Amino acid sequence: MKASIEWLKEYSDIDVNPVELGDILTMTGSKVETIDQKGNDIKNVVVGKILEIKKHEDSDHLVITQMDLGTEKVQIVTGANNIKVGDIVPVAKDGSELPGGKKIKKGELRGVESCGMMCSVGELGLDINQYPGQIEHGIMILPKKYEKDLGKDIVNVLDLKEDIIDFEITPNRPDCLSIEGLGRETAVSLGKEFKNPRKNIDELKVEDKKELEGLKVDITAPDLCYRYIARIVKNVKIEPSPEWMVKRLNACGMRSINNIVDITNYVMLEMGQPMHAFDINSIEGKHITVRRAKNNEKITTLDEQERILDENDLVIADDKKPVAIAGVMGGLNSEIEKDTETVVFESAVFYGGAVRKTAKKVGLRTESSSRFEKGLSPENALRAVNRAVELVEMLNAGKAVDGKIDVYPTKQKVNKIKLDVERINNLLGTKISKQDMIDILEKLDIKVENALVIPPYFRQDIEQLADVAEEVLRFYGYDKLETTLIKADTTLGVRNKEQKIEQKIEDVLVNNGLSEIYTYGFVSEKDLEKANISEELKHTAITIKNPLSDEYKLMRPSTIPSMMQTLATNANKKNQNVKLYDISRSYKNINKEVENGEIPLQENILTLGMYGDNLDFYTLKGLVENVLETVSVNRYDIEKETKNGSYHPGRCANIKVGIDTIATFGEVHPEVLENYGIEKRAYLAELNLTKITKYSRNNKKYVEVPKFPAVERDIAIIVDENIEVGQIEKTIAKKAKKILEKAELFDIYRNEKLGENKKSVAYALTFRNKNKTLNDDEVNEVMENIIKELEKSLGAELRK
Amino acid sequence: MKEKITEIKERAIPEITNCKDLKELNDLRVKYLGKKGELTLVLRGMGSLAPEERPIIGSLVNEIRDELEELIQKKEKEFKKEELQKRLETENIDVTEPSKKIELGTRHPITQIIEEVEEIFLGMGYQIADGPEVEKAIYNFDKLNTPPDHPARDIQDTFYITDDILLRSQTSPVQARVMENQKPPIKIICPGAVYRADSVDATHSPVFHQVEGLVVDRNISMTDLKGTLEMFAKKCLGENTKIRFRPHHFPFTEPSAEADVSCFVCGGKGCRVCKGEGWIELLGCGMVHPNVLRNCGIDPEEYSGFAFGFGVERIAMAKFGIEDMRLLFENDVRFLKQF
Repeated sequence: MKASIEWLKEYSDIDVNPVELGDILTMTGSKVETIDQKGNDIKNVVVGKILEIKKHEDSDHLVITQMDLGTEKVQIVTGANNIKVGDIVPVAKDGSELPGGKKIKKGELRGVESCGMMCSVGELGLDINQYPGQIEHGIMILPKKYEKDLGKDIVNVLDLKEDIIDFEITPNRPDCLSIEGLGRETAVSLGKEFKNPRKNIDELKVEDKKELEGLKVDITAPDLCYRYIARIVKNVKIEPSPEWMVKRLNACGMRSINNIVDITNYVMLEMGQPMHAFDINSIEGKHITVRRAKNNEKITTLDEQERILDENDLVIADDKKPVAIAGVMGGLNSEIEKDTETVVFESAVFYGGAVRKTAKKVGLRTESSSRFEKGLSPENALRAVNRAVELVEMLNAGKAVDGKIDVYPTKQKVNKIKLDVERINNLLGTKISKQDMIDILEKLDIKVENALVIPPYFRQDIEQLADVAEEVLRFYGYDKLETTLIKADTTLGVRNKEQKIEQKIEDVLVNNGLSEIYTYGFVSEKDLEKANISEELKHTAITIKNPLSDEYKLMRPSTIPSMMQTLATNANKKNQNVKLYDISRSYKNINKEVENGEIPLQENILTLGMYGDNLDFYTLKGLVENVLETVSVNRYDIEKETKNGSYHPGRCANIKVGIDTIATFGEVHPEVLENYGIEKRAYLAELNLTKITKYSRNNKKYVEVPKFPAVERDIAIIVDENIEVGQIEKTIAKKAKKILEKAELFDIYRNEKLGENKKSVAYALTFRNKNKTLNDDEVNEVMENIIKELEKSLGAELRK
Repeated sequence: MKEKITEIKERAIPEITNCKDLKELNDLRVKYLGKKGELTLVLRGMGSLAPEERPIIGSLVNEIRDELEELIQKKEKEFKKEELQKRLETENIDVTEPSKKIELGTRHPITQIIEEVEEIFLGMGYQIADGPEVEKAIYNFDKLNTPPDHPARDIQDTFYITDDILLRSQTSPVQARVMENQKPPIKIICPGAVYRADSVDATHSPVFHQVEGLVVDRNISMTDLKGTLEMFAKKCLGENTKIRFRPHHFPFTEPSAEADVSCFVCGGKGCRVCKGEGWIELLGCGMVHPNVLRNCGIDPEEYSGFAFGFGVERIAMAKFGIEDMRLLFENDVRFLKQF
């Protein structure tokens, strides 16, 4: 909301400069966005008269002018072509300044001296709309009346000095979307008296009539229209508005149209109540109905656009057609025309939620709708219409018809809140006296009667004690609040199990050279394709109704596409040796949770992604095992996974606890690499942190350090290539029973002498009995059993 | 015999004193003191002496033996020291040659800020709470005093999955969930990702991160809020940081405030980061709205509380001097490794 200080002064004395005022109002809740001190940035620009225009010898488009600047005559070269001898124009002299910090200096143009510049409307920082008849790309031609002012400062001559503050008004304060409301805030903030220039309007009594000049009004949707008042003015003369009114409208960012339309806008700015004026003759049957629109009902609004409505929208209609979209915009069919003689002023209050929805649907967010949507006071509507009629008579624009039509089905509720001084002080942590509270409230026109706080009609936002506390605090001073620390029972601040696990894992990863990334949870269908995500998983992806783009349409059911994209970005930038991790979520709608209004599965996933030198499947495996060891997940199986499309079918494994898969890792499938344009082998791992937390057991117990010596034996066997060492180890463990301490693989050897598809695998086995020293016979027996079983179940051949 | 002994001694001393290295020294030791050394042989030959002479000669030999031994040891020490000196000289290296360390990774700047905030509040007895990102509208809005027709629910700002399910636009639904499930005292912070329908540019991202805090107990006041935030600001941004409250409006708090901190880049003098104002808008906060407490099953007559929340990216950017938010989500390792 823009407000000029000149207008605010009608409500309060202001004895501080605009910047100080801005600071003070910001600290009482009317936050200043910008302060526009118009005219301050124009320096040394004066009124001049063109005495002579001559062609520039060396240029087709430049002319040389001689200018009369009152006390001096100067020569100016210009390229403008809308000037003639005798024109009065603004002249920026040598050493002048224009808005935007532009400095004008004496110079030469194609060898001819030029002592300044004639200015356009834009160069003076003015709005072309406020100066009818001027052209955008040409010099501003001033009216002849300014010939008496040659040499005088343009800022004073055109009265360009104006201080305008733009406030950010919070949605709970629609009353401050008016000069009156801001004026009240200004007065109270500065400790001045609120001068109410509308006392006469507040006290005015206008008789209620059923019918006015034959006009009748009905509301058929009282849930959407709380009040509808109509007053009529006759013998209307449509004319331009007076300069003072145009200036105030302009200051608030509105354009002048004609006196009647301007009055509605002026009242809206002044009092915060949007109004509408229309020609009584355009109302068929002289009967206004405020009703819900019919489905597919059409109306062409004042901006000449056709709008299609439905039963959720409210319209102002005559007996045949809608004449306005309630609270949003009037219809073209009832517009004020040059020959309009009788005008109906409508001042109504509509349900904000409906106005907001309609405005959004038809794509018309107007000054009017943005006020209605915050919830306006029906009591204010009457003041506004009376003020409009007063202004009509003041401007001699027409004659008021006595009486009003006032349909007011539900009276505005008056809140009454018990003034509990102690609770307010407890809530704020202050020691404000009852009297001080009452003083603050009364200055804001909030009454206190018999310990009851009664907010005025324009403060519907004050409903409870907390609201009263805020009003007290605003003017007691937010900056006077002390700082205290909570005095309460001790609470424990510790991370929970999953949070601790996450931190431990991150330490391991960072120490192993991995860097953390942050990715969006959004993916596209194409992303899921590129990463070869299974059909089954794809079906669990959650679709966003209003995505920013197709690229961000789905919530990812897998974190792989995000990691692959990041690896690709880095590969594309030629970054070598990239090792990354991401702790983020996957989102899966597995059993139609979303459709049933329930929360879908959202698991915390640790994703590892890397490419570069000295990396292979086993480095990744080691890292994954280290992660699990760090968080005490000790019992798990590693099983080959051949069907996960994102991974190399021969180089991928699942980690399982029982039947529960807690992690998958491996080399990225060459197809996927190609889809992402990555030329090196890359590696991925997905670890489900929610599950890892579940299986993490921190129940470590001391086991006695062995007292008896160990016996070591080496064994080398030749097996088929497709026998996994895991199988060999399981077989050894099974037969060695309790005395096997360790089976360490120390060599895998392939040679044609071994035979085709054969490999030799060698282990160093450590045996120990914790209760006694093992003798050779015992160990020999175990070794024999192991060898027999290896031969039997794996077809192994002992290598000698 | 005496003469012989004296002769050995007089021969041995200069030989030992003048010997060149350890090997020669060892040879001399063998020559004089070894099993078949000259002095040893003298002792062995004592059988031919008269009994009364034996102790005299014996003690003389031992005396000389000790003397020579001492001399040899002294010499030995000298040689060892010399030898070590030589070795140390040959083992001289260039300490500025590259190391063989494992290159460390880094935590993302967003995580670093969040962890710093977490540590401060853990120290003040807060728990860290977490909740779903795909959330029910009722938790994101209704329970937080934002009824269905409220402008904040606009589809322009919030990503919807269905009318009832959305991507949380704030971490506040976590607060509502905690209040529903836990009796006061409640002291939590909720860090996490939030979603708003903003296109990606240098200062906007459809996904960003918030940390919100909530305290509900008996007798919690607005000065407690200010004191808590001041403590936090001092720990997080420097001991000289000042805090300033300005009135504001949020649906879920009343009274509400915006909190500014003195600029942690220029210390309040005015710079590019604070746009010359000396203050940086840090967060929104206020006393939990009685409607919110009521909606979550807490009696506002008995309990009061405060809440606050801020965007992590903005602080990370100001603190690390990052000017384009997109860098945070692009994840170029050359960017990541700087933190």
